[in-house]
Amino acid sequence: MNASAFDIIPCGDDALRIVCGAGDIRYALASQLVNDDAWQEIVPGKADLTVAFDPHTESMSAAMARLRDALQSSASFTLPAPRRIELTATFGGAEGPDLEALAERLGRSAEDILTTVEASKLKVDMLGFTPGFAYLTGLDQGLTSERLANPRPRVPAGSIGLITGQIGLYALDGPGGWPIIGRVNTPLFDRFASEPFLLSPGDEVAIRRRTGA
Amino acid sequence: MSVFVLDPGVQTTLQASARVGLRQAGVPASGPADPVSMALANRLVGKPAAATCLEITLGPASFRFDSPMQIGLTGARASVQIAGVEQQFHETISVKAGDALEIGAARAGARIYLAVSGDLPAEVFLNSASTYLPAGFGGLEGRALRKGDRLEPGAVGERPFCETPHTLRLPVSASYALRAVAGPDWNSEDETPASSVYRVTTRLSRMGAEIDGVFPAVSQAGMKPSSAVFPGALQVTPQGRGFLLLPDGQTTGGYPHVLQVIRADRHLLGQIRPGDSLRFLMCTQVQAEAALRAKQALLVAWMPDFSL
Repeated sequence: MNASAFDIIPCGDDALRIVCGAGDIRYALASQLVNDDAWQEIVPGKADLTVAFDPHTESMSAAMARLRDALQSSASFTLPAPRRIELTATFGGAEGPDLEALAERLGRSAEDILTTVEASKLKVDMLGFTPGFAYLTGLDQGLTSERLANPRPRVPAGSIGLITGQIGLYALDGPGGWPIIGRVNTPLFDRFASEPFLLSPGDEVAIRRRTGA
Repeated sequence: MSVFVLDPGVQTTLQASARVGLRQAGVPASGPADPVSMALANRLVGKPAAATCLEITLGPASFRFDSPMQIGLTGARASVQIAGVEQQFHETISVKAGDALEIGAARAGARIYLAVSGDLPAEVFLNSASTYLPAGFGGLEGRALRKGDRLEPGAVGERPFCETPHTLRLPVSASYALRAVAGPDWNSEDETPASSVYRVTTRLSRMGAEIDGVFPAVSQAGMKPSSAVFPGALQVTPQGRGFLLLPDGQTTGGYPHVLQVIRADRHLLGQIRPGDSLRFLMCTQVQAEAALRAKQALLVAWMPDFSL
């Protein structure tokens, strides 16, 4: 991969975006840029990587040149083997208020949808939106769904959102725009833990129905 | 030393520095919605710009001091009384044991900052004492202050009286012109929104403010893969509403990011309230840099440790 060929675009007046596409290239670039303390934030998106600089010490054009240099000298990298995490969940009903509507729209049974979710090899693509919110890719593309036209002001922690090709896990109570199909039983956020968020980018995740539920 | 919460009003939280370097885990900046006003309040009681301070939303709110101390008030415009006597914003105020501070409903602006002379204890979490309510961390037990809470500021010597220079008393009003640069999803064929006036709806929190008005058309097809967003971002939702991000706002988003309020003007977002009107003044990157330098120079002369 020739990182120097990526487009770099401004994101406001104090951040820059590397349009590098989806995949592990984002983590590779992030792991390289993190060695330069001058980047105040290094944030993977679904198909890009955005870095914030200090506009008090550096102009946009100087930051752009520094980023361009960093990409040109991009070193080889190795990514650690992914962790595998299994989560149990309760689906439908109060925990998954949008499951039935989704089934109806797709013309499939809720059972069929859940079997498909369980069989999907999910991977944490990125965290974002709110603390610990995990975007999981790898969902069967046959489960098509858009975001809600009107986001909910509050969905409970552990909620499982679904849009086409993706599962979103809400680590905390908060606003949410994804249709909700269930709720995981394992806390995704522990404020007293040394690593407060259970999931990290690159983790492989399986979601299973809680037995006996 | 103690400060007793008689009435926290709509929402009062402890805020300190912004959280930096955690957005890849989804942790937002948090910190004061209007960092300039908070720093000015702290300056009145001789404290660092990002010292822990009370952020009071809209008012009315009231507090009682159970020991003598000095306080500073800045931000939204409201009438303030101690023992029935009207008090001034932007001046060091000495209070006696038993004094009650009565803050009226804000007439303009959304947030009032109350600094006290002693250090306010607060939970430091992820490198900051700022309260972040959605996750329940920072501040006092990660929550908004409640009636009956008692804050125990540390003991400190009397601070010299001072008042904020008049040139730094930034205007709080019902209409704002915010300088902005194009966002990454700006379509150059779209008409500039600079000529439009937007109105702040009642959906307003520390996460963001919804605004109504005429936006560049965005269809469902205009939805895009989520990317990083920052405070000051203006996103347009499929139903044609705008959402301006504040310090507790999400770290990534999939709605088109059409404008970014420039760093120099972002502090003003902490004072907008429902019904206010907004205009966006488009500027270039070079103009944004010049604006930041100019405002920073003005503020740093009075608050050497402050950074916009």
